[in-house]
Amino acid sequence: MASVTLEKVAKSYGSHKVIHGADLNVKDGEFVVFVGPSGCGKSTLLRMIAGLEDITSGDVSIGETRVTDMVPGDRGVAMVFQSYALYPHMDVARNMSFGLRMQGNDKADTDARVGNASVVLQLKQLLARLPKQLSGGQRQRVAIGRAIVRKPQVFLFDEPLSNLDAELRVQMRVEIARLHSELAATMIYVTHDQTEAMTLADRIVVLRDGNIEQVGSPLELYHDPDTAFVAGFIGSPRMNFLAGRTENWADGLQSVALVNHGDKIVKIPTRSALATGEEVTVGVRPEHLLAGKAAVGGFAITADVVEHLGATTYIYAGARSENPLIVARTDDHADTVGDQVTILPQVGKAHLFDTNGMRIR
Amino acid sequence: MRPRSLTAFGFLAPYLLIFASFWLWPIIYSFYLSFMSTRRLPWTFNPKMTWGRVVQDPAFYNALENTLTILAIQVPVMLFLATLLAVMLNSTLLRARGLIRFAFFAPVVIGEAAYAAVFRLMFNTEFGVINKVIESVGLPPVEWFSNPDAAMALIIMAVTWRWVGYNAIIILAGLQSIPQDVYEAATLDRVSPRQQFLYITLPLLKPVILFCLVLSVIGSMQLFAEPYLITNVGGPGGATETLGLYLYRQAFLNLNFGYASAVAYTIAALAVMISALNLWIGRDKT
Amino acid sequence: MSQQNAASRKRAIALHAVIVPLALIWVFPIWMMVVFATRPDSAIFSPKVLLTPGNRFWENFNLLQDDLNFTRTLFVSVVVAVVYTVLSMILTSMAGWALARYKFHGRIAVVGIILGTMTLPYFVVVIPQFILVARDFGLSNTWVALIVPPLFNSLGVLFMRQAFSMMPAELFDAARIDGVSEWKIFLHVGLPLARPMLAALAIILFLASWNNYLWPLLIANDTSMMTAPVALGSLFGLVDVSWGGIMVGAVLMTAPMLAVFVFLQRFFMAGITAGAVK
Repeated sequence: MASVTLEKVAKSYGSHKVIHGADLNVKDGEFVVFVGPSGCGKSTLLRMIAGLEDITSGDVSIGETRVTDMVPGDRGVAMVFQSYALYPHMDVARNMSFGLRMQGNDKADTDARVGNASVVLQLKQLLARLPKQLSGGQRQRVAIGRAIVRKPQVFLFDEPLSNLDAELRVQMRVEIARLHSELAATMIYVTHDQTEAMTLADRIVVLRDGNIEQVGSPLELYHDPDTAFVAGFIGSPRMNFLAGRTENWADGLQSVALVNHGDKIVKIPTRSALATGEEVTVGVRPEHLLAGKAAVGGFAITADVVEHLGATTYIYAGARSENPLIVARTDDHADTVGDQVTILPQVGKAHLFDTNGMRIR
Repeated sequence: MRPRSLTAFGFLAPYLLIFASFWLWPIIYSFYLSFMSTRRLPWTFNPKMTWGRVVQDPAFYNALENTLTILAIQVPVMLFLATLLAVMLNSTLLRARGLIRFAFFAPVVIGEAAYAAVFRLMFNTEFGVINKVIESVGLPPVEWFSNPDAAMALIIMAVTWRWVGYNAIIILAGLQSIPQDVYEAATLDRVSPRQQFLYITLPLLKPVILFCLVLSVIGSMQLFAEPYLITNVGGPGGATETLGLYLYRQAFLNLNFGYASAVAYTIAALAVMISALNLWIGRDKT
Repeated sequence: MSQQNAASRKRAIALHAVIVPLALIWVFPIWMMVVFATRPDSAIFSPKVLLTPGNRFWENFNLLQDDLNFTRTLFVSVVVAVVYTVLSMILTSMAGWALARYKFHGRIAVVGIILGTMTLPYFVVVIPQFILVARDFGLSNTWVALIVPPLFNSLGVLFMRQAFSMMPAELFDAARIDGVSEWKIFLHVGLPLARPMLAALAIILFLASWNNYLWPLLIANDTSMMTAPVALGSLFGLVDVSWGGIMVGAVLMTAPMLAVFVFLQRFFMAGITAGAVK
């Protein structure tokens, strides 16, 4: 196993830049997830590590070796693709052993490795089947098996679960997490699904328009996002963003008036005072909004849509606007559409962002 | 060069070598030839003897006229027939589909020499079965090989017989690529089958028919084997001499390569012009 | 419902009333080929119309062999068509792979020029080809001359390019990551997946070579190196020739291709329609 280091890695197609110089160090044995909306460059970055995309400038190293100019096969990486990319004309065993066979690896060793992988992934009974005779989940396991067989330094996953149905996705997610702990392998995993990112990652890399927006553990990103983009991307449902205007500052708390909610004042901890009267954005997660009796001194909203999920109830206010306000209630209160609900941000749980979306700490 | 590019050229190289030797170099060389008088050695630069001759050679104009006549009659008739066949073959009502498909598609695999032989016997003036049929309805026998118009008709029939299936296959594939739900939607909208054909099928088939048209035009411009084999090298008296045959005569019987090259380039220019005209007329007006 | 049935019944009758006679006209020449091949010349050239096959096939075959060694020309045709097909498939599938699966400078130019070969009449090429092969290299009446120059045909390149570019890129990326060389990816992943397309291409190439007329006519005038169509055509103008024999030749040329058509119809159709319908 090995670490992966990216130094000022950039890619452009002609004059069009898609990756703007990424720096990142993935530690040996770490599970790192690249996450971001489609088109943010996460898959491109992964494919550059794999060697499937040329690197315009910068360097990629795996372990101590600089691999920037190496062909994919020499980099010691294995990859699991979204479409599984199983060879349709080869059975499961031959799919898994193809790379080793082509490189002239010792036959007994190849067989042993395929045998081991098929035990780990419960594929023993399927070795003689063709990909078209397998279910989606089985195909996924074969694709992972093909990666394991190569004993790579680094595992790369490119949205491996997006072709599976919801139930299988959860199952495979658990399986990948188990594999990571069993193999203690370095893994880099690309997804657009923040739930996958949160559940699997040691560290999450949030990408946006070809830039690394923030790197951190799932809880760091959740509790302490650097930007409004990260705050909005991590967490489900999305963080609420409320327009605000700065007022006075006292005892480490900045008062902000919520301009769309009757200038209701909320207090957010910051290190220093902001100039009064500045435009800011207050970010508060649906689960950090107190509602009903708990929200003493809060402000009222009207429920436009109410979703009862059992343990949680989601209340949407301003559902027809571009940016509805979402409240997650867990206090077993049966609200219905049209109800007035009093809400209040929990103290210390709201974040402040400037007009550029940067966090104000 | 990037390694990927090197790999790509590695895969391309063998074909490109053949391609350059037997296509690219020849077309350049024949362009050069088209300016050379090649009647006697040594060859000399003399475009008057080649390009100059093309524009005033009555034999060339005869071949051009014959070729354009065949093209103007045979191509529309064949494509109409091919479209009709494709639609009929695509009908769910059709029985014995395999046999009927065989009838129309089999000529596609038959070589010119083989079918020329059959057509020569079938259209034999004295003993041929075709004239027997014509006589049986009380008409005089047709002099297929000595009457210029009849010979031309014979060539047109032969070419149509051979190629209609080929075009029908392509149009049929075009028909089958039209999604069925379009027709189901139209049927629910109370659009009659005739209207469906006119306003759904034909417009969607247009690109395919246009493709067949261009192929057929290029094919007709190069017509060679049929008049060579069926009507005795363009007989009677040059009545079925096509451009291809004329070029063959000039290049390989008279060994006048320079003049023949000029003729070849003229044919190429005409083929490209007619194809472009077809595409322009059939373009999507937006 | 019954009203609808009656209407479609009427349509079915009309359809068959048109298509069945047409189909009979279209098979008629093929039928007559068999009739002529099995009748003596005295019957072919007689005032009585014969529409049924006779039993003179072997006699006519022997007459054909007397006129010219037709089995030799069939042998030449088979060798030329087989070798041409194999070589052309190797060349064009490699080129098609390169054009479909790699991005490199000049790729679009190469595709453009190759597409050009489809539209430019063969006549522009055939004169210099002939000068090059027959005069400069002195290769008339050789296997090389019969087989190699027609390999320029670009149909296979475009066909295989289409076939390879329809395959998902991730498949080949997976092999690359597995450390498989580009050549082995082509050989062990690309080609096996293209098997149906290769079959279609093989049929089309074989047919084209088998029926090729102009080039062999120019380059092989020695009877020992004539292909079957050229040899057959060379008999047409002769006075003292067995037409029953010629028709046996036509049948021998045609029957194998008809068999291929009947048994491999699916691949045959795929070969013809490739490129037309995207």
